[in-house]
Amino acid sequence: MTIRYQWLLLASVLALGGCSSLGVQPWERNILARDDMLMDADALDLAFDEHIYFSKEASSGGQGFAGGGCGCN
Amino acid sequence: MRKFVLLLLLVISPLNAEIYNIDQLDLKGQAGKVVYLDFWASWCKPCRESFPWMNGLLTRYPADKFTVITINLDAETEEMHRFLEKIGADFDIYHDPSGAIAEQFELEGMPTSYLIDANGKVVRKHIGFYTSKVGEYEREIEELL
Amino acid sequence: MQLKGKKITGLLSVATCSLLCTPVQADEGEWDIDAAVLYYAEDDGRVEAIEPVISAKKDLGDEESVSMKLVIDSLTGSSPNGAVPSTQVQTFIKPSGDSTYQVAPNETPLDPSFKDTRVAYSMNWEKPYDRNNRRNYGFNISKEYDFTSISANALWQHDANKKNTTYSYGFNLEFDEIEPVGDVPDPLTSMYDQMKGDSSDTRNVIDLLFGVTQVIDRTSLFQVNLTLSESDGYMTDPYKIVSVVDDVSGEPVDQLYENRPDSRSRQGLYGKYRKTLANDDIFTASYRYMTDDWGVDSNTFDFTYRFKFSNGYYLQPRLRLYDQTAADFYAYFLLDGDPVPNEVSADYRLGEMDTTTVGIKFGREVDRQHSWSVRLEQYEQTGESSPSEAVGQLRNQDLYPDVTATIVQFSYAFIF
Repeated sequence: MTIRYQWLLLASVLALGGCSSLGVQPWERNILARDDMLMDADALDLAFDEHIYFSKEASSGGQGFAGGGCGCN
Repeated sequence: MRKFVLLLLLVISPLNAEIYNIDQLDLKGQAGKVVYLDFWASWCKPCRESFPWMNGLLTRYPADKFTVITINLDAETEEMHRFLEKIGADFDIYHDPSGAIAEQFELEGMPTSYLIDANGKVVRKHIGFYTSKVGEYEREIEELL
Repeated sequence: MQLKGKKITGLLSVATCSLLCTPVQADEGEWDIDAAVLYYAEDDGRVEAIEPVISAKKDLGDEESVSMKLVIDSLTGSSPNGAVPSTQVQTFIKPSGDSTYQVAPNETPLDPSFKDTRVAYSMNWEKPYDRNNRRNYGFNISKEYDFTSISANALWQHDANKKNTTYSYGFNLEFDEIEPVGDVPDPLTSMYDQMKGDSSDTRNVIDLLFGVTQVIDRTSLFQVNLTLSESDGYMTDPYKIVSVVDDVSGEPVDQLYENRPDSRSRQGLYGKYRKTLANDDIFTASYRYMTDDWGVDSNTFDFTYRFKFSNGYYLQPRLRLYDQTAADFYAYFLLDGDPVPNEVSADYRLGEMDTTTVGIKFGREVDRQHSWSVRLEQYEQTGESSPSEAVGQLRNQDLYPDVTATIVQFSYAFIF
């Protein structure tokens, strides 16, 4: 149990810190703006899957947030 | 064949203005006019919504006192043309595919617009285009005219 | 409750971008409509489901939108009741208590009284707070004849580093009411005694989510999510039983209603990576680790590769690999004479399993206004069919049959 929590913590810290060196300029998002590059592309598929797997398996959720995209406005 | 089609598109596209290369941009030459300078790209949804309004500005304000100049930042020229085919532009467009001018201006978001007074001074900067703020944008222009 | 369970609740709905998030993005005043139908069928006369969905999102201008989704889920077929197979014919009492069903020798007992329709409705509203902050609020309600669920969720998203980084903070509150056919059975009592209690019971769930989405470069980005979930209340499946078997012959001597803990604490860590390659194809990989205080640990790997062709056509193969450990209180059966544990379930969904999904999706993004797709997948679930603890006749039985299911989905999206 301890090991699992440490891993979770580590992953969270990594996720939080050191992200400012990555990225692109606001005008360089033409590919990221494509519909199929959005993190929530095919949302209906994801929703169907979640329903199926929730019903057949013991784990559910935890997936998919929005983000990326054109970054406009 | 593609070049011919592009040329044809240029000719028949609903454009009442020209597309220039960014090197041809001469803002100093606009002295005496208020300039609405807008940075846009075809993949930017709010940009699509701003075009009809920007076209409207040209009809509303006298051409000797006001103009709209836009800089397109599409890396893919074809995408810019396809966009302009669907959404016409009455103002001049300067194509900056490398983003060099955007970098000079240190653009923080898309779209970005600058309001430049008749003396060539940048008076306002707006990041993003909001239809609810159109009244505010117009008031700022009118103040300068 | 096969394939019923809760609909896509709260944060998941929010997480998948205001429930809808069709690929094509509407302009102000336009409606984004997404319609789809899912067909799911398991082999061996087990569960079959058909699920039409329709969702609509209206762009209210300036990044504000409102969306609605309606799901209808129709289920038929039969589902394992948790009991072990026997060399003899077995008779079980239906949940209603007023009739019985029989299971042939050496067959996995399946409860055939399985016809259910579920309707779920959700609404969502998203509005920016300022240029770099967005709020999203959602509400869901789901109803089937023996289960009602309502939930509310909220999400805050904050952009940083010129929108290269997006932080998401969300929570979800859910309240469920379970009204089993034939009332809530007294846990761990014999099915043949039909000892029932109240007509309903409840549970609630609180979820917290924290996520970071980060642009890596012009062609790729990744996302990491941390989720915490606390459930309290009635977590048992009122229709599931556990067999008590003779410790020598392995033949069932009694069937007890199962009992699960009245709380469940879960944590999840999820990562997803998406990249456009030089030829415009898109590769996506994701991994999710989940753990809880029931002892269920799972790993989920999901990969897709989208081959993009001209005129908006694409072909997308998909591979999903899943494994989980059994819940601490999971048991294939109980031995007659042993003390009955406080919590025990023989529901195969809580057992140790590996699953594989292989699929292919074919579709077209016709233009900004229309897109369609067809998805075909095969799902297979396997577990330990011959556990070492099997005694007597159970050694010759398949105590964890493979489940194979076919999934077909048609989708169509348009803007008007």
